[in-house]
Amino acid sequence: MKLKIETAETPDREQLRSLLLDAADQIAGAGASILEPRLRWDGNPMLLADAQLRPVLVSFEPEDSEAALINGLRGVEQLHNALPWINQVYEALQQRQQPPRLVVVAREFPPGATVLGACPGLRLYRYQPLSVNGEVALCFEPVDLPPAARVTQESAPRPDTTTLPQQASNDILPPLSDAESAYFQQL
Amino acid sequence: MVSRLNPAWQRRSASSSRLAEISARFRDDDPAATPGNNVCRAIPFLLDTPEQQWITDELSRILTERGHPCTLCSPGDVIRVEHSPATRQTGAASAGDAYSVLAVTCPATLLESGVDHVVLPVPASLDGIRIAYQRIKLLSQHATPEIGIVLVGPRDQHAAWRYFRKLAVATLRYLDVPLLNLGFLPEQVGPGQDAQASHGHHFLTRIGERLLHSGFYSTVTITRPQNNT
Repeated sequence: MKLKIETAETPDREQLRSLLLDAADQIAGAGASILEPRLRWDGNPMLLADAQLRPVLVSFEPEDSEAALINGLRGVEQLHNALPWINQVYEALQQRQQPPRLVVVAREFPPGATVLGACPGLRLYRYQPLSVNGEVALCFEPVDLPPAARVTQESAPRPDTTTLPQQASNDILPPLSDAESAYFQQL
Repeated sequence: MVSRLNPAWQRRSASSSRLAEISARFRDDDPAATPGNNVCRAIPFLLDTPEQQWITDELSRILTERGHPCTLCSPGDVIRVEHSPATRQTGAASAGDAYSVLAVTCPATLLESGVDHVVLPVPASLDGIRIAYQRIKLLSQHATPEIGIVLVGPRDQHAAWRYFRKLAVATLRYLDVPLLNLGFLPEQVGPGQDAQASHGHHFLTRIGERLLHSGFYSTVTITRPQNNT
């Protein structure tokens, strides 16, 4: 099968929400689960739980990165203040009372991204809409951090390396033939 | 050492048909760079995960330390690939040459940039090389760039060689794509370490030297935003 990849039009907010829900593992780490929107937050973000049962607030806007960031900061503050209640509402969090993480997704990075990107518990992504054989998909790019900031971020406490976001592009990799699959069965 | 390596190690020579293919791709481009843009040598990295950016960060720093001013740039900065095979063929880098390291995680972004060289840092695991193979397969469905491999996290040089050989044989056998072995970063080398003090600095320096001495870069025009204010 031949892959035809083209740049797609920017999705509207609901399309973006739908695409982000499909990419929950990419933005919140493998094993992330989606929490039902039982509560209203500023900006209507998405709420996920990562593999370590830590709440992850995903604030997103198709274009306006500043709004995505500000709404996300408001939301994560509300979430933090209401943590015991949140843990009661969402059984999936198993009363771990873990501090929330914030993920901000927009077409471009918000101002100050290189500074904010070094903050532990905050991830900034910009997305590129792609059309893959007619199907719209998102490609995520994390913020570029200066080396010093990256070291700071890396040395900060992190839940587990299994939560690291994988590239969305893995979803569109070409399949292996039988011969290729057999070849990669063992080293 | 090199003499006993599998032919897959050998770098593919730029055939006339391949050059014609690349030339056709950019035939309509205006060769003149606009004011404010600068032409530089970009070393594109297709990262396995965003967390591998420490490799490009450190490499950029080390190249700068060794007299080759190097900056990091994003895919959006690259506006055009210059078709300059003659420059590539000369290979050898001289002190003061400026470079930009372009780090992306998405093959489609890389394809859009039109670069003709790419470095893949590949995790030293069976899954890692299988995914790398699939990404190379995706790249090979378009204008296949020259592909260099850096194994990340093998136990030692022998393990690195085993993984590289497994991947290189597959790409040659099934895709007819040769790979260039650029080296490896052993498992002790990772992000957040003081690369100066550790032997990670040594491994990254060797990778940087191989990149420069083999002319493993794309000549691109970079445009920087006028600042986001």
